[in-house]
Amino acid sequence: MTNAVDAGDVGLLELRDLKTHFFTQDGTVRAVDGVTFEIRDGQTLGVVGESGCGKSITAMSVLRLIERPGRIIGGEVLLRGKNVLNYSDQEMRDVRGNQISMIFQEPMTSLNPVYTCGDQIAEAVELHEAISRREAWGRAIEMLAQVGIPEPARRAKQYPHQMSGGMRQRVMIAMALSTNPELLIADEPTTALDVTIQAQILELMKALRERNKMAIMLITHDLGVVAEMADEVVVMYSGKVFERADALTIFEQPHNPYTRGLLASIPRLGDKRERLEVIRGVVPNPLNLPTGCLFKRRCPYAMPVCDTPPPVRQVKAGHISRCWLTPESEPPSIGADAPPEVAEAAAQELTVAGR
Amino acid sequence: MTTDSEANTMDDASRAPGATDVGTSAATGSVDGNGARPSDGETLVRVQDLVKHFPIRGGLLGVSKLGAVRAVDGVSFDVRRGETLGLVGESGCGKTTLGKVILRLIPATSGEVYIKDRAMFKQSGNQMKAIREDMQVVFQDPYASLNPRMTVGEIVGEGPLVHGLSNRKKREALVRELLGRVGLNQSHIHRYPHEFSGGQRQRIGIARALALNPEFVVCDEPVSALDVSIQSQVLNLLDDLQKELGLTYLFIAHNLAVVEHISDRVGVMYLGKIVELADVDTLYRDPRHPYTVALLSAVPETDPRRRRKRLVLRGDVPSPVNPPSGCRFHTRCWLREQLGNPENCVTEEPPLRVLAPGQQAACHWAEKISPEAIQSAADRQPTVATAEPAPAA
Repeated sequence: MTNAVDAGDVGLLELRDLKTHFFTQDGTVRAVDGVTFEIRDGQTLGVVGESGCGKSITAMSVLRLIERPGRIIGGEVLLRGKNVLNYSDQEMRDVRGNQISMIFQEPMTSLNPVYTCGDQIAEAVELHEAISRREAWGRAIEMLAQVGIPEPARRAKQYPHQMSGGMRQRVMIAMALSTNPELLIADEPTTALDVTIQAQILELMKALRERNKMAIMLITHDLGVVAEMADEVVVMYSGKVFERADALTIFEQPHNPYTRGLLASIPRLGDKRERLEVIRGVVPNPLNLPTGCLFKRRCPYAMPVCDTPPPVRQVKAGHISRCWLTPESEPPSIGADAPPEVAEAAAQELTVAGR
Repeated sequence: MTTDSEANTMDDASRAPGATDVGTSAATGSVDGNGARPSDGETLVRVQDLVKHFPIRGGLLGVSKLGAVRAVDGVSFDVRRGETLGLVGESGCGKTTLGKVILRLIPATSGEVYIKDRAMFKQSGNQMKAIREDMQVVFQDPYASLNPRMTVGEIVGEGPLVHGLSNRKKREALVRELLGRVGLNQSHIHRYPHEFSGGQRQRIGIARALALNPEFVVCDEPVSALDVSIQSQVLNLLDDLQKELGLTYLFIAHNLAVVEHISDRVGVMYLGKIVELADVDTLYRDPRHPYTVALLSAVPETDPRRRRKRLVLRGDVPSPVNPPSGCRFHTRCWLREQLGNPENCVTEEPPLRVLAPGQQAACHWAEKISPEAIQSAADRQPTVATAEPAPAA
């Protein structure tokens, strides 16, 4: 924060201790609470976590799309070394869609139902470049062709409801890429789609990533999608980064007990286990977070020291983990032996009544 | 409500359930009865030529029939006692409708379902009530499927009340026992659904399904609305309950890894039909329908080392109002393309045929599927797969 880096090795995007809190009637929700990571040019960063862990709010904070009662209360979002949190609204508008584009989970609700798909893409192009309507329309058709939509000229004249879910997501991607952004933020881009359509969209994103040399921040809860796409992975839990490493390390040598639990609890193809391992309990209530480590009540390795907030440890170069466990002490394998009654009992204690 | 086709198929369905001519309609597939596994249980539920069409009405008074959504279009299979039969397919393939028709939550257009050899669609209301004790359902959405104005005790106890357990004390004792069984705190009996998390609500839904001590439970996407760390808790619970209570599950889901984990046998649906039905290991290791191959290939690997070129299907699922002729998958089929577009895929509907013990698939060219064929199909695709197949020349 103090010594600015030379323009030469300024990364594309760097988040430093970002904090976005929501000030609700019931109390403060620390949705994003000190998130630090960076994305380099052309890199795909996977951000994984369960619902409510703050992964989407992190992305919205980068684009400053947080609405009341939420507020970014601290930290920095450095885009090419400049803190966008200090940008004027006009400067911010130039960043959105130009340098950074975003695609959302539900393509039906993020496209305007009363304009044709072509209109919506052309509008995006016109907003960012000084070109005529006709040129913009031509660009829209070209973009639709690029994302693999057959008969783009005809499809451009159609409305979102005339297209299937997979096609709409392609339209969203076409719109996001029409201004040639350096960073694409994809928030659960395939969650609403069927697997065969998901495969199409992932392949498309890979091809376009190659072609446009853009970086992707891929937000998802699906570890399979992350394994497929990401170079580096950030694992979030209750508003904090719990682990960060390259994709191979995350999947093969995870350090953090939460990451380990997450990986062990998903059934995989070809998996011959009789029982799945479980992470006992539920995600803590954001209005009533435990003191110390946020994961301690669900953690099979919880120790007295976990009542104090854990340090962020460097496991090895480029691999950090928020945990009291030291990197050397290889944690024993998680709970196939943990009796289910114990897990269930723990789940009961954690019953959190909403509202 | 009653359609004309429903009437004339009723006598058709009056055949004895155990009769040998169950597979008369070759095109719709026959019942698996070839003793696939030594541990084969007896048949608990038999689904026979089941059809469900939703009419599309229009015209001046909304009475003329313009067509029909052929949600389930001739499906036959057996569910054996004590097994879990998985049913996978993409959205719109008819898997949920099939589950509902099997439970007689919506009327079938034609066909029959036998539970313990009783033909279900011919039962009167009172008889049906008795049968319903044997079959229950767990729904997908734990938020929408629990009445927010009822307490947990009322929700779980409603079935027993309707079925004659009028003694309140006994009912409460039963509910408490059920809550304990599904891993919920018995003292939560007076709470309302909104006080619980998604995973706990799904446990309430499971307790409700178990309240009448059923033998057969249809689980319709029971974990897809839950977070990953909660999914495994619920899957393990379903597993335990099956072992303790000897339950039989029809497990409907779109997540192939989940289905592989929980099922003994798996059926794959596409546009209202079962295209492949096999023992779980056989189906996942050696799929014999090109659609199954593509589905499995589409699942992202949770191992960054095994990133591979996958077989990506072009286009979307065609409309079930007007499904393609012949084999319904032919418009997207990679195998057909590889074989030089053979004619019979378009003209002739492939029957569900036995390819190996415990494996049936509905493909004319199932024998041509090999790892090499799959690899070469994956290698030949363009980098950016188009959203739709090119219009047939």
